[in-house]
Amino acid sequence: MKHAISAALALALSTAVAAPVLAHGFSKPQHGGIVTTSGETLFELVAKPTGVQLYVIDDDEPVSAAAMTATLNTSVGGKMQSVALKPATGNRFDGPAMKLKPGAKVAVMVINKATKVRMGGTFVIK
Amino acid sequence: MPKFKSFVLAALLAGFASQAADAHAVWFAQRARQTALIYGIGADDLDAVKRFSFIEKITGYDADYQPFAASARIAGPIVLVDADQQPTLLSVVFFNGVWSRVDGEFVTGGRDKNPKATLAEKNYKYSVSIMGPLSTPIPVLADQVLQIVPAGPIPDQHGAKLTYRVLFKGKPVSGAKVINDLINDPDQKPLVSGADGTVTMEVRNQGLNVIQAVYNGPSDDAKQYDRIENTATLTFTLAHAPE
Repeated sequence: MKHAISAALALALSTAVAAPVLAHGFSKPQHGGIVTTSGETLFELVAKPTGVQLYVIDDDEPVSAAAMTATLNTSVGGKMQSVALKPATGNRFDGPAMKLKPGAKVAVMVINKATKVRMGGTFVIK
Repeated sequence: MPKFKSFVLAALLAGFASQAADAHAVWFAQRARQTALIYGIGADDLDAVKRFSFIEKITGYDADYQPFAASARIAGPIVLVDADQQPTLLSVVFFNGVWSRVDGEFVTGGRDKNPKATLAEKNYKYSVSIMGPLSTPIPVLADQVLQIVPAGPIPDQHGAKLTYRVLFKGKPVSGAKVINDLINDPDQKPLVSGADGTVTMEVRNQGLNVIQAVYNGPSDDAKQYDRIENTATLTFTLAHAPE
């Protein structure tokens, strides 16, 4: 019994020890895109010829795209263009292809439909 | 309806009668990842909900400094800001009422209500928050009667010097009193802006910086108050090192 308790305690502690390491683990792109962070929220933008993808990780947890709205805003030829993304699988949102030149800024806003909690950031295209 | 609003405003202001009006400011800060409008001074994060009706206007600005709609809402004990796109700048205009100094204390109302006042003033508070990367200098924002703008790039590290320019009605103004850390050092001796409106100060925090300027402009109703006290803040955040 004592061994069982010790084993359970050790397991619990190993989880606790692992948590702080994971707490700031996601700062790099997971899908080959570019990232911007706001606090513990990480946004990753993947621009493909066929469309853009946005991935959102909040506090180390992938968000549920289905529960959110996501919008990208960028200036094109001096005019602000707003693109509403569609929820895809998991924490991914999809949108149409965007021509993003180096130096362009892309503002992202993700809003939880139920709680109205907002998460935002700005990508700077390199 | 305007009479009712005036009555509500007067009633709310009466509740704050014992507080000095001039020391406080408004600014934006993050609360639980959300953008909140703070009314306070130093570590005093005061009751912004009570003062919700004092908020005249909140505006978001995109990367090209084009304005877009933003709004305030009460969320429990705090006031949050809603915008449908991530702002590069966020601004607020906040009318803090008319105050008079009577027997050494500030009380609400102008000279009609307080004929023995030694000073009567109207109070407006303004704030601009930098929330995204800047590519060009911050322009004059039309509704910010008093505005602080950085006169150069914002450094990455605290301890560096930064020059700020104080604008009154869009023009550099001398005589504005400026402090560089309203939250952590609100009682510091202010620097006074020169003829070109500038002051140069250390950026104090590797985190949120709230710069405050106070400038007294002429009265627009001399029978009621002697001056209009304008208080502006500029906020920006220096990122911490990667963890």
